[in-house]
Amino acid sequence: MKRNQFLILGLLPAIFLMTFLFVLPSLWGIYSSFTNMALLGKEAANFRFLGFENYIKLFKDSAFYTSFFNTIYFVIGSALIGQFLLGLIIALLIDYAERRKIPGRGIVYGIVLLAWINPTLIAGFQWSAMYDYYYGTLNTFLKFLGLPKINWLGSIPMLSVIVANIWRGTAFTMLIWLSALKTIPVELYEAGKIDGANAFNRFRYITVPMLRDIITVNLIQITMATMGAFLLIWAITSGGPGLKTTTLSLFAYRTAFESYRLGYGSAIAVIMLLINLFFGIIYIRLFRRR
Amino acid sequence: MKILVFIIFILIIIFFSIPFLWLYLSAFDKEASAFIKLPNFTLSNFIEAFKEYNFTRYLINSSFVATITMLLTVLIVAISAYSISRIKWRYKNSLLYSLLLLHSIPLSTTMVPIYGIMRTLHLRNSYLGLILVYTAMQLPFLIWLMKGFFDTIPEELEEASWIDGCTSLKALFKVILPISLPGILVVSALSFLGAWGESMLILILVDSEKMKTVPLVFYEAIRTVGGYMEVRYELVSSFAILFQIPVVILFILSRKLLATSIVPGVER
Repeated sequence: MKRNQFLILGLLPAIFLMTFLFVLPSLWGIYSSFTNMALLGKEAANFRFLGFENYIKLFKDSAFYTSFFNTIYFVIGSALIGQFLLGLIIALLIDYAERRKIPGRGIVYGIVLLAWINPTLIAGFQWSAMYDYYYGTLNTFLKFLGLPKINWLGSIPMLSVIVANIWRGTAFTMLIWLSALKTIPVELYEAGKIDGANAFNRFRYITVPMLRDIITVNLIQITMATMGAFLLIWAITSGGPGLKTTTLSLFAYRTAFESYRLGYGSAIAVIMLLINLFFGIIYIRLFRRR
Repeated sequence: MKILVFIIFILIIIFFSIPFLWLYLSAFDKEASAFIKLPNFTLSNFIEAFKEYNFTRYLINSSFVATITMLLTVLIVAISAYSISRIKWRYKNSLLYSLLLLHSIPLSTTMVPIYGIMRTLHLRNSYLGLILVYTAMQLPFLIWLMKGFFDTIPEELEEASWIDGCTSLKALFKVILPISLPGILVVSALSFLGAWGESMLILILVDSEKMKTVPLVFYEAIRTVGGYMEVRYELVSSFAILFQIPVVILFILSRKLLATSIVPGVER
């Protein structure tokens, strides 16, 4: 009994700090979302409770819907299609190359990983230079080929930030797939080969069913991380032009720190928290089953 | 088929390496622009970073915050992960899953409330505030990671040391921690990196000149994009390299250790 008390005591510092950073802000966010709390201006001097006013305003705010759908496009484009598919393809290729001793696999692995451990702000800087209209590497290359320049951040801003985020985040999925592929016994593939299954069918009927749970967990992880992405988009486009690349996290940030409306920004944060909790609970459920 | 795979490899390498090539070449070029080209090699950008931009101060701030965060994090993670690993409690699993839940929620979600809390507590623009936030933010994942290490150590080892007269605390420090040194090293490296590279909360937690860290200064340097000034690619590239070097070095050092303990949810 004394030992268990000692162990509970050992948990207290961690619980205290996590309450401070995770629980307290959530409660403060809920509280302030019912107020007109502001950093500057006449609202800042006239603090009062608004009830559900912020939420009613939010659900009538066209900028909220724009950012909500931008978030969905960004997640589908960069996480579900981009990072997941590219990460899967790279992992399968590296796995294949390892067995056939094809050169270059180590460099591919290293460079994809480097893009991932690279601080996100630096990635934003690198890509805003790549996309530069007048001197950027991409347009210089197009000119070299005799093709017209593309206004990457003006006419196709969402696609541009999606590509940058695929570049930055693919390694995570690649790592998960690489270690997962190693858990499948080689005999299964050999049996499949003898039965006359081609490479695609072996993947479809052996790999996918074996790794179903890992795939789902991975998909939810990248979905949540991408929904919360802030720095990369912020560094490349600041959410613009207009609201074209403003996702929910940028919308909350701009509302709170550029329009100085903390209460309204908190209401957005609370909605985001609810969406995240929804995905998080599914994630834990699946994780538990394993 | 082999040749096809090799060609795809080359395409992947081109896509992933060009932004890095551009960055590394620009940092050593006085006349760098957004376009990738071979430099007239010079170190003048780095010299300017230190002479004109007070980079020494920012490096010291960043290193100090990251080091103290690392020490505090390792201490708290070691004790609490050990506790979770050994505790016999009905709600142990719920506790573990709530850690995973906390880890999976991106910090950008709670960024606005975190600002509010830190402002109310007057912890903005202070080392203490940064260290507390950076420690707390990494706990869920690192405790989860470290608990995995402790789970592999049989309890009989500690029980033997109790018979020799050790208290629980003494057994933890004398018997358990030395065996789990690889885990401790991974936690140290990751917590240092987490604090060193954190570039989002720093935007709302610090605005005084003497508290600025490397990521914040880097951020301010790139924010001239679309503003009144042209972004100085050559100078900012040298900032980027100073910011990136510790990350790459520590990552390479801890990679071997990390590979043995790959756990879901490393995404940051």
